[in-house]
Amino acid sequence: MELREKSALNIAFAFAFISTLAVSLVAGGAALGARERALLFWLIMFFSAMSGLSHAFVREEERGTALFLRLSSPPAAVLSAKLLFNLLFFLALQAVIAPLFVFFMEGGVASPAGFAFSALAGGAALASSATVLSAIAAKSGARGSLFTVISFPVMLPVLITAAGATADCIETPGTLAGSETVFLLAFSGAMIAVSYLVFEYIWIDE
Amino acid sequence: MKHIARLTHIAMPAAVVMAFLFAPAVDVHGETGRLLFFHVPLAWIAALAFAVAGALSIVHLADRSGRWAHLDAKARHSAAIGLAATVLATATGSVWAKMSWGSYWNWDPRETSIIILMLVYIAYFSLDSALAGRGNRGRVASAYLIIAMAAMPFFIFIFPRLFGSLHPRSGSLETDAVTRITLLVSIAAHTLLYLYVFSLKNRVFALEHVTE
Repeated sequence: MELREKSALNIAFAFAFISTLAVSLVAGGAALGARERALLFWLIMFFSAMSGLSHAFVREEERGTALFLRLSSPPAAVLSAKLLFNLLFFLALQAVIAPLFVFFMEGGVASPAGFAFSALAGGAALASSATVLSAIAAKSGARGSLFTVISFPVMLPVLITAAGATADCIETPGTLAGSETVFLLAFSGAMIAVSYLVFEYIWIDE
Repeated sequence: MKHIARLTHIAMPAAVVMAFLFAPAVDVHGETGRLLFFHVPLAWIAALAFAVAGALSIVHLADRSGRWAHLDAKARHSAAIGLAATVLATATGSVWAKMSWGSYWNWDPRETSIIILMLVYIAYFSLDSALAGRGNRGRVASAYLIIAMAAMPFFIFIFPRLFGSLHPRSGSLETDAVTRITLLVSIAAHTLLYLYVFSLKNRVFALEHVTE
């Protein structure tokens, strides 16, 4: 479904590109601190990703292909495919946003490898939690707005932690994986494990 | 049910009387420091109600034979009490923060944790109301509670240690024996109150179900 609906992907990437440019333009070359730059980076990532991640299962329900998926594939296979797509989608978004962000924002990054690693860990945490939450949102009536409501409490601490990890990498040379990055990876693992445990109950109607 | 009701009717007035008349005023905060005897038990009830709701949700999903009826509704009842306790714990905590740190809200990791717990409860009830009338209401809402329950230890236990917290940890406050006894009585009384209200809500639900 995602590969057939290319317009949604194009819009997500265009949104990421435009929002990065807009933030850089509004910042206007101001000497922002590491914390502020990390915060802006994750806000761009979050809002760019939300437009794509939230639709993982909603489109299947809207187009009526969810029933076909239920009949043709086991729940674990459906979840694995959606999770993989969301992880790759987030990776592609980061590949667009991170270089643009570093290029346009003043100050540079002290630890580029750590910056990339923290971005990957934060992206994995957001994508893994968003996948199962979008399945829940797809099962309710008020889909678009409800996804924001149910995902925000789960994702907000991830955003705060990811911004902290990224800020460390922006200002401290040689930073690779601090305790915040470990938190994000552990969170991703827990979310993926719980997703596999509960997905069948969300996906299959009695 | 009757025993819980009787014990609650004795324990809650005792806890209130002990908090205001028996325990001494806290050294630094004076009379306002008596909030401690309500803030800590309310935060405990908020966490307990969430754990009970999560545990009931797990059993609801695992119970394929339908042996345990209406566990999803019972989880909802526990979450409702938890939401009320979370609001009250946040309110009493912000007054305590004003006394200790000079402002009502400081974005301390402990404050962030309780506000996230409140958001989880609000999100759960939003989802539950969106699913009203659907056959999968209990299953989907239970699944959300389990996901939130898996995420909460990260926020409650790891998050404050990651960023450092001004909030006193358990055992870090220097208190005398009378204060500690009063606090324990208050926690026990609030736990009984939670059990009483929880069983009352379940009973009302069962009666409504029978009359329908």
